[in-house]
Amino acid sequence: MDATVKSHFTPHEAPAPTKAAVFWRPTAKSGLMSWLTTVDHKKIGFLYGIFALFFFLVGGVEALLIRLQLAVPNNDILTAAQYNTMFTMHGTTMIFLAVMPLSAAFFNYIMPLQIGARDVAFPRLNAFSLWTFVAGAIIINLGWFMQDGPPDGGWFGYAPLTSKTFSADHSIDMWVMGLQLLGVASIAASLNFIVTIINLRAPGMTMMRVPVFSWMTLVTAFLIILSFPAITIALVELMMDRLFGTNFFEVSNGGMPVLWQHLFWVFGHPEVYILILPAMGIISEILPTFSRKPLFGYPIVVFSGACIGFLGFSVWSHHMFTTGMGTVATAAFSLATMAIAVPTGVKIFNWIGTIWGGHLKMSTPMMFALGFVWMFMMGGFSGVMHAAAPADAQQQDSYFVIAHFHYVLIGGSLFALLAGIHYWFPLMFGRKVSEFWGKLSFWIIFAGFNITFFPMHFLGLNGMPRRTFTYDANLGWNTPNFIATVGAFILGIGVLIYFIVMIYTYAKGERVKRDYWDGRTLEWSIPNPPPEYNFAVIPTVHARDAWWYEKHHQEEIAKEKAAHAKEDAAHGGIHMPFQSVYPLVTSIGILIGAIGVSVVDHGHKLPVALAGAAVMLAGIYLWAMEGNEGYHIQADQEDSHK
Amino acid sequence: MDGHQTTMVTAGPVAKAQLDVFYVTCWVTLVIFVLVGAVLAYATIKFKARTDADEHAEPPEQSHGNPLIELGLIGASIFALVIIAVPTLKGIWYTYEPPAEQKENVYEVTATGYQWWFKFEYPKEQIDGVGSLVTGNELVIPAGRPVVIQLRTVDVIHSFWVPKLAGKVDMIPNRGNHLWLQADEPGYFWGQCAEYCGDSHAVMRFRVIALAEKDFADWVAGQKQAARTVAATAQAGADNAKVQFASFKRNEYGFTPKWDANATVSPLDNWKQQQFPAKDENPALIAQGRKLFTEKTCAGCHTIRGHEGIGITGPDLTHIGARTTIAGGLLENNPDQMARWIAHPDVVKPGNKMYTTGYLPNNVQLTDADVAALVAYLESLK
Repeated sequence: MDATVKSHFTPHEAPAPTKAAVFWRPTAKSGLMSWLTTVDHKKIGFLYGIFALFFFLVGGVEALLIRLQLAVPNNDILTAAQYNTMFTMHGTTMIFLAVMPLSAAFFNYIMPLQIGARDVAFPRLNAFSLWTFVAGAIIINLGWFMQDGPPDGGWFGYAPLTSKTFSADHSIDMWVMGLQLLGVASIAASLNFIVTIINLRAPGMTMMRVPVFSWMTLVTAFLIILSFPAITIALVELMMDRLFGTNFFEVSNGGMPVLWQHLFWVFGHPEVYILILPAMGIISEILPTFSRKPLFGYPIVVFSGACIGFLGFSVWSHHMFTTGMGTVATAAFSLATMAIAVPTGVKIFNWIGTIWGGHLKMSTPMMFALGFVWMFMMGGFSGVMHAAAPADAQQQDSYFVIAHFHYVLIGGSLFALLAGIHYWFPLMFGRKVSEFWGKLSFWIIFAGFNITFFPMHFLGLNGMPRRTFTYDANLGWNTPNFIATVGAFILGIGVLIYFIVMIYTYAKGERVKRDYWDGRTLEWSIPNPPPEYNFAVIPTVHARDAWWYEKHHQEEIAKEKAAHAKEDAAHGGIHMPFQSVYPLVTSIGILIGAIGVSVVDHGHKLPVALAGAAVMLAGIYLWAMEGNEGYHIQADQEDSHK
Repeated sequence: MDGHQTTMVTAGPVAKAQLDVFYVTCWVTLVIFVLVGAVLAYATIKFKARTDADEHAEPPEQSHGNPLIELGLIGASIFALVIIAVPTLKGIWYTYEPPAEQKENVYEVTATGYQWWFKFEYPKEQIDGVGSLVTGNELVIPAGRPVVIQLRTVDVIHSFWVPKLAGKVDMIPNRGNHLWLQADEPGYFWGQCAEYCGDSHAVMRFRVIALAEKDFADWVAGQKQAARTVAATAQAGADNAKVQFASFKRNEYGFTPKWDANATVSPLDNWKQQQFPAKDENPALIAQGRKLFTEKTCAGCHTIRGHEGIGITGPDLTHIGARTTIAGGLLENNPDQMARWIAHPDVVKPGNKMYTTGYLPNNVQLTDADVAALVAYLESLK
């Protein structure tokens, strides 16, 4: 294989002009350079996953320190300032640097395979999204290595606490800048996914045949491009206040802190669905596979996902029931929030409908998926309690809220992501995870999670506010806090086992054949690990569960594939894009510029920022000029055939 | 679930209304959870593949769904939500403003958040030549009457929360918020800031004391008095003031035995006792403290009405000795805790605006003897 020929997509088909050395195209297929310059969606997805899991562990350590501090009343393992830093970084890290990129890893890796595509629509833009995400993560975490320390304004960064008056040092600047970079990365990636899903589906894959996970990718991508502009505006305004003395949130000059809350939550609530919809997509893949049955009510599951995304934009102020919005606004947001429970409930009903009458294979991914359904139900119910504004007046900013959203984000998002890793591991690496160790880690995680967060419902109802580094011994909070801390360490051990098992399996796990789980969607039709071109022959889709259909109509499919292969051969083989260094160069420029704006002391900001801008612009220019050339490869025929 | 700060044991109509709505949501969701959970558990057990052969048997019927079931379940969900929505809407309007028939009877107070303490102003209680009565960190209200509290802040966002009386409402800069609450019976209630407001957010606490009508009138009359001056007596001199204070471990925040569950005196009785001067006062030491209060620049930030203090950036201390707590509701008010607070403000309240390496703004330092004198003086201000 790998017979490289010049692409006929070269502009004008002209004989290639002798290009300047700056247009050097890296061709390394292994080693560091191959990773830094890759445009392969699978490699990029893998890198997203690695970075996300790293930050997941960092955020986990932060969580354990928080729980350690709260294990007993009046503890002093952490100072007040350190504690505030911990919960700020725990929230920011888990949301932006762990769960979102882990979802992005699956979007990248799985979605093109599910829709029968050979890559995303804009492979180099995809690389740019990855590296800009890494740049944002670096900026947010630089504070650990600086005197000013990491940000301490909360993941929500409410003005005016985050204004220059109350947080003079650089830590908030880094938070503001880092989040903006993450916004750029997320929006670029989302546009890429949208174009990919709209344009690159295999022949025959109508929208109503797109697997639910890819559907949720699409909905999530729309949520991202519609919601991130709101927080970007807020962050830019805050940055202007801090750097240039504007007065968006500067109270003494008539600024409106409540404006920040609206802008933040116009982003922040869709963000909740950005975190949970991919999880719901994963669950909607796993349950049918392990029940050996199609998803119950596919159109309704898809529609309810879109509906949740849509309604998600109309409920932001339920995070602000205590800001004195008045009766009418409070009532409207209260009812809108309750309305979201309907499409969410519909999903749960359909998942139960899916397993009803199936042959349930209780493998580890299925355990996590069922765990998800249970835990997500509980998180959903406490969510309904918050929707009732009068009840929320007591629960807001108490531990009850912490219990609620951890049930949704750990019991929900994280369980689904852990399920997804188990589920697609045989596809990605061609090895299977030990069922014993997988299930053991599931049960420890499940137990630890509930021991940690269930008591927090009672803490909240018993009046313990959030974000408090200490509490008195005589308020009745001692026992639940201690139990929660013990639970957190059990959860930590479970997660540790999970990852050790994954690393072990990656290196030494038992090799498995293609389509290990008897899957239903197209990603299972290809060899494992997938070749770089994904599909030797682009499949033709005849039904919703395309691969399941293929498996049961082999002759018909074989004929079509032969025809497609012929077409490809006429073009000289499978067209692959060249690798490129410029997405990385552009992101490095952005990183330098962001450091200039946020980290460097006043007076030296401009030169560093300008240097960064210059690198960025050079990167973009060269990226544009090098063109979207590619090369052709011939797929291995026995590889391509089942 | 019956702690000092619980939301589950209420002492007034607002908190009660909020708890009632909570119970409605709780029961409705619990019923749904049991029903759905039962079906899920049943399906999981019933359709589980039990053997290897089972797993590899012919796949089950590839059914795609049933629109009637979907519609039925959607209808049922909407019905369940309506059960929650009706009391929710009622509650939103009820908790927003005191009932119309009570309008005449409303007592009004203004609460202002500072990093990290609360100021309380009584616009109805005017003092000649001074203005409204002002106090800090302990809000005294009449029991059995609706109290409307105007919520303000001078710096960042805070949130006013007394769980047994009412849910929280935020204090937001450039925004006039309010809440109303009512204590049905006289009592002593715990409150705490509920919006993250910086370093010492966790120790920004306060108390609400509800008094019967007569007691409340007496309290107001007493508060309107200028600060108490202890008459000098002949026998005592400043130098015999070898006062020893208990020492505290670094991490003993707000250790408050008087409020433990097994305390012998009720918190409200404890508050009442606090209104009387101590028997063993040392007039000379107190006079020394009063002098230091000006010399050490305390007076620049704190008001002691009738004495020298004129500052307004810190809490009003005119009757500090009669409060049950100090340092923003954090520590029990007794000489030991007062000494601890004055000697180590940075430890008790990290990031506080009074002290960094010395007392602000001139980095003033205090000796142990200074602390003893100041404690005696402040505790005398009943």
